[in-house]
Amino acid sequence: MNLFGLFLPGDSWLHRLGAGWKYLLLLVLTIPVLIVSLPAPSLVALGVTMLLLASAKIRPTLAWQLPLGFWVVAAMLGGYQLVTAHFDLAIVVTANLITAVYASRLLTLTTPGAVLIDALVAALRPLRRLGVNPEQVGLAIAIMLRSVPVLLDSFGQVRQAAQARGRERNLFALVTPVVVRAVGHAQATGAALAARGLGEI
Amino acid sequence: MAVTVPGSGHHHSKVLLHPTTLELSEKRIAIIGSNGSGKSTLLRLFNGLILPTSGRVEVAGLNTGSQGRQVRRLVGFVFTDPLAQLILATAADDVELSLRPLIRDRKLRRDEAIRLLAERGLERVADQSVYDLSGGERQMVAFTSVLASGPQILVADEPTTLLDLRNRDRVRELIRGLDQQVVVATHDLDLAADADRVLVVDHGRIVADGQPDEAISEYLKLARA
Repeated sequence: MNLFGLFLPGDSWLHRLGAGWKYLLLLVLTIPVLIVSLPAPSLVALGVTMLLLASAKIRPTLAWQLPLGFWVVAAMLGGYQLVTAHFDLAIVVTANLITAVYASRLLTLTTPGAVLIDALVAALRPLRRLGVNPEQVGLAIAIMLRSVPVLLDSFGQVRQAAQARGRERNLFALVTPVVVRAVGHAQATGAALAARGLGEI
Repeated sequence: MAVTVPGSGHHHSKVLLHPTTLELSEKRIAIIGSNGSGKSTLLRLFNGLILPTSGRVEVAGLNTGSQGRQVRRLVGFVFTDPLAQLILATAADDVELSLRPLIRDRKLRRDEAIRLLAERGLERVADQSVYDLSGGERQMVAFTSVLASGPQILVADEPTTLLDLRNRDRVRELIRGLDQQVVVATHDLDLAADADRVLVVDHGRIVADGQPDEAISEYLKLARA
């Protein structure tokens, strides 16, 4: 299961909407609530995101289901705030995280991957004068989207391995292998890019 | 050329490939040898993924060190594990990624990606996550992606190791049908037997080099000694 979801062809208004508008929608749904940092706006943004996602007419299991690893991370973040007696922040952090993932899905489920990169590249083109390479930034973001599920999957595998040895409560035993795997994944991706001459556009 | 990993602290430096001089001009070349013998190191020298610590490697007259970028445009590289190779989330997106420098128009690029996948019988998996594909499908998508960029030489590192018999045969058939020069490292002796020239690598040295029958027989003697 992919955290951000993969493009699913359809004919909803979100499928027809330009990728640029969808990027803007993503920013509107996620950035202000980060700045305001209050429970009510976070919950409203989450509700609006859910309604918009429902309007994409995508099979509910594909639109709503998220990997277990995500819920574990969300619970850890929310739990930490509760333990430190920041009840409002527990709601804000958890709601914002869920909003960010579902708002990303508004974009990724209704737009082919190549179109997402093209839209980013087009938007970043004016920055070329400042030395920014839009192709490379577009590629980097596409790789980042592809890497998140890899890391979550890695976390799930490590957790199972730790459980099998009765060490699931040992944070060090969980985090270290995930970091090692993340570095390995980054190296493999770098080698794959170099082998195809793509990091050198 | 030679490759040595420098030592640090109380660790001694390790020689991955002893000084070697090779000229590879045959259309189909196989490199065989046991695990850790230096096959992958040798392969990675061909497109500059590894640079020699002494000597030089030239591909079509280009130095892999100083002209690595141009070399990598000529040399396509297929990894053992296609999941390490497929960069984007779906088969079509990944093939499109290879086509980006060649075709600027989005629709033409998409159409070409689908056409290339269809050529390998992969049209139906075009929009599927690379995670949802079988091992054989993933490897065929990886080949399609690498070949989409139009390399003149194809280098493949154990491309059949993770595959079942049927998919292994598909990869062998695909390699046989390519116009490009192909250099493949493999444990699959049937795949090696298809080559025009076979190199046997052992402990970082080329210990046999010649016709497939002779070289494979040398390798078997070495492996069973």
